[in-house]
Amino acid sequence: MEHDYLIAGLRVRMDSFGRTLSQAEPYLTETVGQADITITSNPQSLKDRQPHLSLDDCEYLCTGGSFYRQLLDFDGMLLHSSAVVMDGYAYLFSAPCGTGKSTHTNMWRAAFGEAVVMLNDDKPALRKEDDCWYAYGTPWSGKTDQNINMRVPIGGICVLSRGEINEIEPYYGAKAIFSLLDQTVRPKMANVRTRLLELLDDLMLSVPMWKLRCTPTKEAALISQAAMSKEAIKRFGGKQS
Amino acid sequence: MKLKEGFILRTVAGQTVALPSEGVTNLDMMITLNDTGKFLWEKLTVDAEKADLVEALLAEYDVDRERAEKSVDTFIARLKELDFLA
Repeated sequence: MEHDYLIAGLRVRMDSFGRTLSQAEPYLTETVGQADITITSNPQSLKDRQPHLSLDDCEYLCTGGSFYRQLLDFDGMLLHSSAVVMDGYAYLFSAPCGTGKSTHTNMWRAAFGEAVVMLNDDKPALRKEDDCWYAYGTPWSGKTDQNINMRVPIGGICVLSRGEINEIEPYYGAKAIFSLLDQTVRPKMANVRTRLLELLDDLMLSVPMWKLRCTPTKEAALISQAAMSKEAIKRFGGKQS
Repeated sequence: MKLKEGFILRTVAGQTVALPSEGVTNLDMMITLNDTGKFLWEKLTVDAEKADLVEALLAEYDVDRERAEKSVDTFIARLKELDFLA
């Protein structure tokens, strides 16, 4: 059945089933008027191409893909990352699958306990609104259902890789651009592709960007949190409410 | 010698990037350009020969002929490798 959802501040109309339907439940809203984003999916067509996936997974991937492609029309983009919230700022850890994004954010929770909340463990939506970049929880959060329906100003974005030691440093230039483009939806159409580059330009100039090499330890979390929160407070001010 | 049609040239956080405007979403097709690269790229949006590019570099930048030629050769080789030339 078709429902309306409020996701990333947008009215999203979607007819889904299975995991997508249940994970979207916290985002339900009354169905009225025109939707900003209408999601249509054809999970069977994906399953025909990727028979090893379940139809439920296909639905989840198709609906997420549809949402994040259309998000570009609303000053928003996907960053494949694990996003945690602490002291009113969202910190996003991005990397290719299997690098240890979730492991690292779990270390934040191990280190700081209740002070840390998981916003979205896999696919937060990023949106520029009123001159500020926000991260949103969405129903699409990867293997886990770890997401909350919340908007939080972004305090920092970090590209993570595995290392023997823990080391964090600012990250800009060509490599940073490639790293981010590698972990988002890359549109096929010229006008949307230009839009993505415009958004990325704004994002990288507005939000502190980091590169972390880390071990899967609590110590790594202490190091990334210290550097990232210090810079967020310096740039955006003290604790957010 | 000239670039194909249909590229996006844009500055992202101070870094100039060029990529095909449509189709393949492969990041191997995206290149970053330094000042000289951007300068040569713009010259190649209209037809130009290697000699024209070298002269243009010599007029614009404080480089000797040998280095200018080398820069142009490297740049053209890269564009050919990516099949960016018409």
